[in-house]
Amino acid sequence: MNIARAAVIGSGVMGSGIAAQLANAGIPVVLLDIVPPGAADRSILARGAIERMLTVEPLALMHKSFAARVTPGNVDDDLALVADADWIIEAVLEDLEVKRALYAKLEAVRKPGSVVSSNTSTIPLSLLTREMPASFAADFCITHFFNPPRYMRLLEVVAGPATRAEALDAVRRCGDVQLGKGVVDCKDTPGFIANRIGTLWMECAVTEAFRLGLTVEEADAVCGKPMGIPRTGVFGLFDLVGIDLMPHVSRSMLATLPADDAYRGVRVEQPVIAAMIAEGRTGRKGKGGFYRVAKTDAGRVREAMDLVTGAYRPARDAKLASLAAARKDLRALVTHPDRGGQYAWRVLSQVLHYATSLVPAIADTIVQVDDAMKLGYGWERGPFELVDQLGAGWLAAALAREGRTVPPLLAAAADRTFYRVDGGALQFLGTDGTYRDVPRPDGVLLLADVKRRGAPVAKNPSAALWDIGDGVLCLEFTSKMNALDQFSIEMLARAVGTIGDGTGAHSALVIYNEGPNFSVGANLGGVLLAANTAAWKTIDALGAAGQQALTSLKYAPFPVVAAPHGMAFGGGCEVLLHSSAIVAHAELQAGLVETSVGLIPGWGGCKELLLRGFRKHGDDLIKVIGGAFQAIGQARSSRSAAQARDLLVLGDGDTITMNRDRLLADAKARAVAMRPGYRPPEATALRLPGAMARDLMVAQVEAMVATGKATPHDVVVAAELAGVLSGGATDPSRALSDDDMFNLERAAFGRLIRTPATIARIEHMLATGKPLRN
Amino acid sequence: MPTYKAPLDDMRFVLHDVLDVAQLSALPGYEEATPDLIDAILEEAGRFCAEVLQPLNQPGDAAGCTYEQGEVKAPPGFKEAYQQYCAGGWPALTADPKYGGQGMPHLMRSVVEEMMCASNLSFAMYPGLAHGAYHAMHTHGTEELKDKLLPKLVSGQWGGTMCLTEPHAGTDLGIITTKAVPAGDGAYRLTGTKIFISAGEHDLTENIIHLVLAKLPDAPGGTRGISMFMVPKFLPTDEGRPGTRNGVTCGSIEHKMGIKGNATCVLNFDNATGWMVGDANKGMRAMFTMMNGARLGVGLQGLGLGEVAYQNAVAYARERLQGRSLTGAKNPGGPADPIIEHPAVRQGLLRVKALNEGNRAFAYWIGMHIDLEHRHPDPARRAESADLVALMTPVIKAFLTDTGFESTNIALQTFGGHGYVREYGMEQFVRDARIAPIYEGTNAVQAMDLVGRKLPEGMGRLLRRFFHPVSAEVEASRADPALAEFVEPLAKAFERLQQATQGVAMRSMANPDEAGAAAEDYLHLLGYVTLGYMWLRMVKAARARLAAGADDRAAFYEAKVATGRFYFAKVLPQVHALAARIAAGATTVMSVPVDAF
Repeated sequence: MNIARAAVIGSGVMGSGIAAQLANAGIPVVLLDIVPPGAADRSILARGAIERMLTVEPLALMHKSFAARVTPGNVDDDLALVADADWIIEAVLEDLEVKRALYAKLEAVRKPGSVVSSNTSTIPLSLLTREMPASFAADFCITHFFNPPRYMRLLEVVAGPATRAEALDAVRRCGDVQLGKGVVDCKDTPGFIANRIGTLWMECAVTEAFRLGLTVEEADAVCGKPMGIPRTGVFGLFDLVGIDLMPHVSRSMLATLPADDAYRGVRVEQPVIAAMIAEGRTGRKGKGGFYRVAKTDAGRVREAMDLVTGAYRPARDAKLASLAAARKDLRALVTHPDRGGQYAWRVLSQVLHYATSLVPAIADTIVQVDDAMKLGYGWERGPFELVDQLGAGWLAAALAREGRTVPPLLAAAADRTFYRVDGGALQFLGTDGTYRDVPRPDGVLLLADVKRRGAPVAKNPSAALWDIGDGVLCLEFTSKMNALDQFSIEMLARAVGTIGDGTGAHSALVIYNEGPNFSVGANLGGVLLAANTAAWKTIDALGAAGQQALTSLKYAPFPVVAAPHGMAFGGGCEVLLHSSAIVAHAELQAGLVETSVGLIPGWGGCKELLLRGFRKHGDDLIKVIGGAFQAIGQARSSRSAAQARDLLVLGDGDTITMNRDRLLADAKARAVAMRPGYRPPEATALRLPGAMARDLMVAQVEAMVATGKATPHDVVVAAELAGVLSGGATDPSRALSDDDMFNLERAAFGRLIRTPATIARIEHMLATGKPLRN
Repeated sequence: MPTYKAPLDDMRFVLHDVLDVAQLSALPGYEEATPDLIDAILEEAGRFCAEVLQPLNQPGDAAGCTYEQGEVKAPPGFKEAYQQYCAGGWPALTADPKYGGQGMPHLMRSVVEEMMCASNLSFAMYPGLAHGAYHAMHTHGTEELKDKLLPKLVSGQWGGTMCLTEPHAGTDLGIITTKAVPAGDGAYRLTGTKIFISAGEHDLTENIIHLVLAKLPDAPGGTRGISMFMVPKFLPTDEGRPGTRNGVTCGSIEHKMGIKGNATCVLNFDNATGWMVGDANKGMRAMFTMMNGARLGVGLQGLGLGEVAYQNAVAYARERLQGRSLTGAKNPGGPADPIIEHPAVRQGLLRVKALNEGNRAFAYWIGMHIDLEHRHPDPARRAESADLVALMTPVIKAFLTDTGFESTNIALQTFGGHGYVREYGMEQFVRDARIAPIYEGTNAVQAMDLVGRKLPEGMGRLLRRFFHPVSAEVEASRADPALAEFVEPLAKAFERLQQATQGVAMRSMANPDEAGAAAEDYLHLLGYVTLGYMWLRMVKAARARLAAGADDRAAFYEAKVATGRFYFAKVLPQVHALAARIAAGATTVMSVPVDAF
């Protein structure tokens, strides 16, 4: 069964977020909510929710046009609209009776074989389906999304004993491939996996911070980076999710957890926090939380709350010897005698004790537990991976020394690790005490797995080349932030050289990596050092080398597929523009942003954007050149792959992959499909208008200076950009080649890098991460 | 007996023809510093140094300082010379008019300092340290302290010192143990021992102001827990006279290789009364104000000694008749030719001449930027000059003292055996010059400051203030084909420097030992390129004067061009060896096990 249409009931934060993600995936969705008493517009709730999908940060929709895929309505008048839906997701109040009443209504209108799921986070499936007809129970499961559904990757799926396998597969597959989620099968237990462990961790981290007298900064510093947990730590996370949520979650957990559950002993009512909630200091959405930003005479100051007095004071960096020790390893942190070390041990030992005691009760495998924490809470390492860092035997001994029980699974691990690499394969310890391969779904290929299996074909300080099978090589950037430098360029050239004419061992190239970003562009620090030392030749040589490498990529006799994710800015974007095809992760941020540092694209970005413009707009020079001038001149970047299409970074033939884990396999498949009869593109022959067009564009920006919309140096940069985009001293009777355009780009780049204002922009960007408006 | 004559023509050439010092008189507060007044000051300083200070140099070395029961006497004649120095108003030359100073540009002090160091380094250090104390107090002292003390320092009535080193803490000041305890009345009580304190105790002045680094009772560890205190030898009375003797005494003086006329003291602080200068625990910052100035001053010591040694060596080489020229007799009427006719002697003298004149231009150029840093009306220009001065401070200190020491050695060699005996005074120059690469932060420390701190700052922001002018100068000079023999070697050397900079920056990020192993060579590479830049500017200035019709001065300008030619052909090529050594990296240095030594 395929999910072609969907419906979401309940247009609150979760319901509308789920609907938006369905729309992002190209699935038409009906969004229904109740009719508020006395409302003139009876669908006002759903309609308002769609409005917010486009305006409230972080944006739920990847492209504004996707809003048209969501049809608003209300449950009183429009319930019949769900009749078309293959999947109906209920995201209404966490109230059993409300849900059951709704299910009864849905059962009357939904089409046979459609799947119904609940987004409940607290109510057991057994209760939801009790006394419902067998046909309903067979089509029902729980699909628990995390907030915000577009950005949080975890989707917990809970099946009941009656749930049809086919229904479940359809939901899993849609969640994985179409919605891009990491689907984790959970058992029907309270809080499922992520919140079961996550809430214990949060309560425990708060309780112990009070007990040991840590400041909120100290607690967050310990419960953050050293444990591979996001920088927000625990108090920062409460501020993010809302402190007033705590009592609700606690109440529902206490209502459903087993009588002997460790959670019951962890939570301690803190009067200071109760006072915060009473005063509306509920976190970022409220009047500040454990942290707040105060406006003072000296500007905006980040403040932290004193846990004893509840008063605010300027936030200060945590300085603990244990934090320094943590740089060595995790065990050095939890064994450190200071309060940070004691805190780390108390929190981590309780969390890991809890997690190791819950398998197989809440999940069949430890992998599911680790995946849930990584995908749902953003942890770099799951609980069992953390145990491996400490050593299972060491942890068991330490727990025993303190008179605590050692969970059977931990005891069974003894001196083994929960994960190991065997014969190049990642394996985990099953509950039966034997190792088995960590499963990867069909269509998932991870470079991390490839790397475990063997050595790279080639490697240098900033890039590596891997054989990913079927004659396809993968070029991986490895530098900090994947900034491009001479080594990255060398490896690009080397990749093309290694594949040669494509008739040997390798016949296609994929450019892909598993860092946080595809590439943030050229290494600005290196460029600045070269500029500061007047090493103009070095800069020009790097420009020429990049142009040459990207040209060889573009005209290679074999397909080159770029598979970007995260950020692909500047030079990173130019790599995309010179590839035969792009398979982009949906959350791609791409753009030619060089002008924000007072430069212009120097590796063929101007040229390729013009070529794409001509392909898109024919000979409409105003659209082609004007469009490129605006996109580059304003340093526009996308916030999704769909937006990157508007910027012409993605073309009609380029595709979008929703699931990050499927990106490499999709790109590889694309490369393999392109291989038979592949012909490289024809040589560039650009007919451009020359100086007059340039002057027109410059005049536009000059006019903006008068109104304060552009700065004096914007004019300098714009003039160089306009000079390149209009073809320099040319006229439409001449056809400009790749080299002609490269020369224009490099000359303009070389002039700009010599201006003090451009150097000032680069310095400012490196120092603050923000563009300088000079 | 050696002689010294201030090289006024060379000085004026740098100030007027190369640096256009007249631009300083356009800065606020420097209106009176016209070229005419500057020349008059140079004349007078040159006369004072040649006639008063220089004759005391050799006797001062022979007599040394004397220590008796805590009292130290400078060599005979120093006290009288110091009185003349004060009567001439020299301590006030560049001081703030608010405290009795004459308000001349700082650059003038550099020029006068060169002369004083050349004529009598041991003497020059007494007022030199007092000036450092003046500068630190002027920048960081409270108004009350300044009003009380600065006029005394400016008039020269009182002396000054900087007290950093302790028996166990030299380069590593973070571990000093001298304690400062609040006395309750705003003052502090200091206890501890300081060593190697130049001018720490003497009879030239009625009182001495010690600036002392010490730790407050609750101070954090390391250099972040150091504060600076002003501790006078005699507590000043309300009328500003030396009053009660303070608890600071001189335990002994060092017996050392050179600068024997300057008292190098062990100072014992025993509950001595002091006042904090600057903020608590921010003493290193305050002291660096003084030390940066002092580092430039030490560089000038190298230059001054190189100059005086050169003058005497040239005089000797002209007169000393020995052997015949390889290409036929040049003095057929005499028994032999003057040794200056021999290539080996010439080469040595030319090397010293080229280094001296290049170092002088370098030092004055940076000296002028100190004035621009403080007085230019445009904050952006001030910041740029500050960057250049920060970048070049370690280079001036280390390069000028390394080459200055080398120059005194070459000059001594010119004398043969006569250089090794006391009579001609050459060995004193070598001995005196030997301290300069050591104190005020050893030259290895300077090199680490350059490579570890100044180079990476802002991804090379400080470097920009030097590399961009050089790049522009090279590009502009290439338009004149007649300059090719000067420009092209510089362009090549500059390229080596650019490559070395990139290489050191990249390798150091991966391994800090790379920075350490490259540091001294890199500093020298930068030094030689800087002198190349200065020489190109000097050659162009001299050629411009010749083109304008220099008449009776033609020989002087032609000599400049010829010396520049020598520099580019025979001195600058050292950069290629340095570049190769830098490129070789740290492995061969660090891979040798300690046991193998």
